[in-house]
Formats: sequence, structure tokens, C-alpha cells
Amino acid sequence: MKKECSSISELLDKYFDQEVTPEERSLVEDHLPSCPACRSALLSMGNLRNLIKSPVEEAVERENFPWVWEKIERGIQQEDKPGLWESLWSWLDMISLRKKKILIPAVAAVVILILITAPLLYEKMSSSPVLSVVEYVESDTYNVMIYEREAPQVTVIWLFEGPEEEPLTS
Amino acid sequence: MDINEAQLISRCQQGDQEALKEIFNQYHQKLYRIAYGVVRHREEALDIVQEVFIKLFRSIHQFKGKSRFYTYLYRMTMNTAIDHTRKMKKVPPLSMDEEEGFQLSDDADKRPDRILDHKELEAKVKWSMDQLSPDQKAVLIFREVEGLSYQEIAEATGCSIGTVMSRLHYGRKKVQELLKDYVERGK
Repeated sequence: MKKECSSISELLDKYFDQEVTPEERSLVEDHLPSCPACRSALLSMGNLRNLIKSPVEEAVERENFPWVWEKIERGIQQEDKPGLWESLWSWLDMISLRKKKILIPAVAAVVILILITAPLLYEKMSSSPVLSVVEYVESDTYNVMIYEREAPQVTVIWLFEGPEEEPLTS
Repeated sequence: MDINEAQLISRCQQGDQEALKEIFNQYHQKLYRIAYGVVRHREEALDIVQEVFIKLFRSIHQFKGKSRFYTYLYRMTMNTAIDHTRKMKKVPPLSMDEEEGFQLSDDADKRPDRILDHKELEAKVKWSMDQLSPDQKAVLIFREVEGLSYQEIAEATGCSIGTVMSRLHYGRKKVQELLKDYVERGK
């Protein structure tokens, strides 16, 4: 390879692919007659293209494509019948929600709702009286039952004098 | 993009299968060429073409016309074919008899020795192409098989013309080295 080959060889791919400018074309074509190495490199590129391309062209010529279209049609029809998961997903329609930018405000609204209602619910739950029997004493004259609840601190004492009597509380 | 093609795409985006069929009629050979160039196997290439058109029908609403439609299709085909080869690498290869990548049409070429030569050559070409990175392979096939310009390849692969040229140069060099005997023999 000659000295100037290094600059021409950079253009050889472009020349082979017909992507050179007119000036570049002249440069290469002036160089080629006197350089067997660059001519050989060009020939190699042509042979390689032939090796890669010819079998593909022959395969295309042999092929009968109409039945491929039939397979595509069948494939599309099969995909049209959604499975259980796809049905559920499309019902939720998460993708379109995300696209419409509805998902973020919706999630934010739910979070705010939870933050507001949770303390109220907790308060209501904790305010309901939970009474527990602490002691039950039986005697000949009175039967006494003592209840207690934690907050607020209340003690209920039932005093049973007889079947008709109302209990006394304190 | 001409008006007819724009109308076809618009109809297809609305779910018109007849429009898809017209796109199929226009492009199936080109896409088959690309798919076959990658996998070099008839059945696999046909499966890829089928998969691409089904995918296209499902995703054509995403096509906004920023690139040319055929480069969009070529990119989809190349990606599907390269994904396919990745999956196939995990499957044990077929035996020589089962492979039907290269068939001979001419009677003279059906002599057993010629068939073996062709099969060997095709297997060697496939093997050497498989030694390239997916990016180099894509560029080489777009150029050598489909004859796309550097600009079109850049559009289809989403990279610059300089990158296309570099991948093409090194891809060619590597395959030429691996197929040295055959490349030299052709001179």
C-alpha cells in the first residue's frame, strides 16, 4: 500500500457506497489505477456484499407471501380476545390514566382523604367505652358487680338488692 | 411521505386492517430481506415479518411522522430480528439437515457436492455475521442487503452518519477477515 493510501483508504468505503462528493470521487479515481492494494480492497468489499446479499435475494424470490398475511390476520384476531388479566388491566385503564395525567392527582386526593379521616376514625374508635368487669361479689343481702373503663377513668358499681331493683352507679 | 402513505397510516391508526394489508403488500419483501439478512433462516424470517406487522398494527398510533415511515418500519424489523437472535442463542442450534436457510433453485446447483458447498458457505456467512455486535450487524445489513444510504441508516438506527460509517467500516473489516478465504476466492 502506498503512502497516500492511508488518506484514500478512509474514502474507500464511501466511494464503494457511492457516498463521496465529486471532489472525493476524483481523488479516489486518480489514485486507483496506480494502487493494486486499494483496487483489491474495493474488490473485497464487492465480494463481501455478494456473499451477504445473494442468498437473501434468492430466498426472497422463492418465497410465497400471501399465506403470511393470513397468519398476520389470525394473529391480530387472537390478540383481540383479551385474557383475564388484560381485561382487568384495561378496566383499570392505568396507562390512559397515566397518559392523561389523572393518576397523580387521583393518588394525591386519596392520600389527603386518608390523612384527614384517619385521626377522626381513630378518635371515634378510642372514644367508644370499653367496659370490663373487675370484680363480682355475691352475698346474702347484696350482689355487687364492679366495671371499669380506661379513659376517661370511670368505675361503675352495680348493687343488686333484689330482682326488681335498679342498679346503683357511682 | 406521500399523501397516499399518510392516508394509509391514518386509516391503520384507526384500526383499519385493509390499510395494514396495503402496507404489508408494499413492504413485506423489504422487511423479509432485512429479517432474513439477520437470521438467515426462512421460517424464522417469516415469523419475524409476521410479528412486525402485528406489532405495527398495535403500535402505529405511536408513529407521529417525525421520521420517514419506512425507516420506522425498518427499525422495528431490525429490533425484532435482533431480539429473536438473542432468544435463539438460548435454544440449541438445529442440525445441518434441519437447517433450511439456503435452498438451491438451479438443477445444476442441486448436485450433492454443490449443495454442501453452499450450505457450508451460508453457515460460515451466518457465523461470521453473528460475531458482530448487534449495532454493526444492523448497519451492515441495512447497507449491503437493503442498500440504504448513510442518512437512511442513521435515521433507522437513531445514530449519527459518522457512527454509521464507523460501524460499517469495522463491521466489514471483521467479516472480511473471518471470510477471508471466500472473499479472496471471489476475486
